[in-house]
Amino acid sequence: MTDSDTRQPAPSVTPSPKSTWPPKLDGWLDAVARRATAEGILSSILVPLVSALAALVVGGVLIAIDGVNPLSVYGAILQGVFTKSRGFSYTATVATPLVLIGVGYALAYRARVFTIGGEGQYLVGAVAGTAVVTAGGVGDLPRVVLIVVGLGAAIVAGALWGGLAGVLANRFGASIVISTLMLSFIGDSLLQWAVRDGIRDPDSYNANSRPISAAALPSFFGQKTHLGFLFALVLVPIAWWLIRRHRWGFRIDARGHNPGTLNANEFSSARVTLSVLVVAGGLAGLAGMVETTGVNVRLGQEASVGYGWDAIIVALIGRLHPLGVLVAGLGMAGLTIGFESAQRQFELPSSLVSLITAFVIIFVVWGDAIAARWKESR
Amino acid sequence: MDTLFSIATVEAGIRLGLPVALAALGAIINERSGVLNLGLEGMMLSGALGGYIVNDATGSPWIGLLAGLLVGALTGGVFAGLVVTFRTSQVVTGIAFTIVAIAATTYLFQLRWDIGELPPRVERLGMWPLVALTLVCVAGVWFLFRRTTLGLTISAVGESPESADALGYNVVLIRWMATIAGGALAGLGGAVLVNGPLGLFIEEVTAGRGWVALALVVFAGWRPVPAVAGAFLFGLCDAAQLRLQGTATEVPYEVFLALPYVVTLIALVVRARRSHTPAALGDPYVRGAS
Repeated sequence: MTDSDTRQPAPSVTPSPKSTWPPKLDGWLDAVARRATAEGILSSILVPLVSALAALVVGGVLIAIDGVNPLSVYGAILQGVFTKSRGFSYTATVATPLVLIGVGYALAYRARVFTIGGEGQYLVGAVAGTAVVTAGGVGDLPRVVLIVVGLGAAIVAGALWGGLAGVLANRFGASIVISTLMLSFIGDSLLQWAVRDGIRDPDSYNANSRPISAAALPSFFGQKTHLGFLFALVLVPIAWWLIRRHRWGFRIDARGHNPGTLNANEFSSARVTLSVLVVAGGLAGLAGMVETTGVNVRLGQEASVGYGWDAIIVALIGRLHPLGVLVAGLGMAGLTIGFESAQRQFELPSSLVSLITAFVIIFVVWGDAIAARWKESR
Repeated sequence: MDTLFSIATVEAGIRLGLPVALAALGAIINERSGVLNLGLEGMMLSGALGGYIVNDATGSPWIGLLAGLLVGALTGGVFAGLVVTFRTSQVVTGIAFTIVAIAATTYLFQLRWDIGELPPRVERLGMWPLVALTLVCVAGVWFLFRRTTLGLTISAVGESPESADALGYNVVLIRWMATIAGGALAGLGGAVLVNGPLGLFIEEVTAGRGWVALALVVFAGWRPVPAVAGAFLFGLCDAAQLRLQGTATEVPYEVFLALPYVVTLIALVVRARRSHTPAALGDPYVRGAS
């Protein structure tokens, strides 16, 4: 823990010299090296990178078995993302919910709070936000107010859904993995009921809400990328700052390493559990509303597309680091978008892309174990 | 509401409960040995696809069930290799395992049957042979843990691997065997789902039943008979939900859709305090580490 060093000034016999600029190079290098080894450069960058490459190789073999040249498929994927005019815009759009939910997961997993309830919180957030902005009589409100109120309602709903799991864990010792999972299924039932009956558009034949057009998020440069992507971009440095510089982030990491330490210092680790679940839930709820108002026109039965599950992979591949989550989220979104056009061109099964990302995560898990053994043996 | 409380609903409840019951039995064996198997859903799904493909090829649902069992055992072996031998995090590995299994079964299924092409209905088994099969499995697991030294050894490994090791038992081997056996039962559960009255595989056909089975194990306090009773309860809710879906009623059918999960959540709360959780559940065993 390099952070704890910087927070508590070391007792020094001699008065510390005034800070000079530029700092002495060897001291600075030493600090960089210490920080890198504390985080483990091997496991933080090398393992996910090698895992991603290995998964692409496995995917290539599968494509080759299907009788297609894998290099031309991967070429088409790159082309789809980088040269097509809309490629990056779509990638950013898909990455938005992945990063928003993924950063929440990353914070929770740092505290060793294993929530997998992002999907339910996403849906509950979407339902609550949509219910507010499509309610009768709010249509006259200015667009900005409507957007803020809708997103706020979604954050609150997601936070409550996540916080419920925290309360159940703290008060009754219920397993967070199982309870967040059950809450995800219940959230899906809630969505089904809401669009079929609760907030259904009475004029629509299909089961969906009224259009949310009045609360639609503005998009950039006439492209598909919407304001939500900016939220994701802003969230990353905030989360980074929280982890590195804020007391809360320090407590999260402390709980992750040894919850007993917190309790011994008269700070309840249960409070960390609850707060981290509330924050992760709020972010997932925000993602749900951002997706509804930024991409879709209405909330429908098909709103559950699995961003809450995919974000688990994104958080793990991103090494529970906000910047890593952003990179992993963009990578996964790029693969998905690029593959969409390549798949039609080469007539490949549409599930291949999820198989490749799934292999990345298995390789990361495996690679971590190998790296740990390698460290032990030295 | 008349149609809700009928023999047909109870029958459907039993039918829908069987795969969950088998998977829950598998999870009990896993967790008693100290291995938390969050890959259960994936193992069920793998067994379902294996059972379906073999049944389609051979025309025999019984061989299909056997294939489901073997595929499940194989996935259990892979999982054991990761969490027992390589000592990866059981929570993360389990979740990743299920994600891989969902993607892999969908991929293989899409590869075999193109979109739009109707996958064939396979030969189906009636309900009663499957009920008999499940009862045999329940009795077997009950007997294992209540009446045999092996069952006691498995529990010892799950409670205190250090002590079991000191007594000369091979912790790694026993966890391997328990994980494979649990995977086999989960795979069988998946195969029962597909080779039973359904006779069809669709993408993600297990639809979260493996997760329900995991929750049921907590609800049942790691005992086989209550776990099967819980599975039947889940099946009844599922049947009620399916029955109500077409009809307009005062109670929205989504209530029944959510009911099994709500019940599980409540059970989790009521049970957790005085549960018989294996003490070493989720901990990888490193010899001489503590």
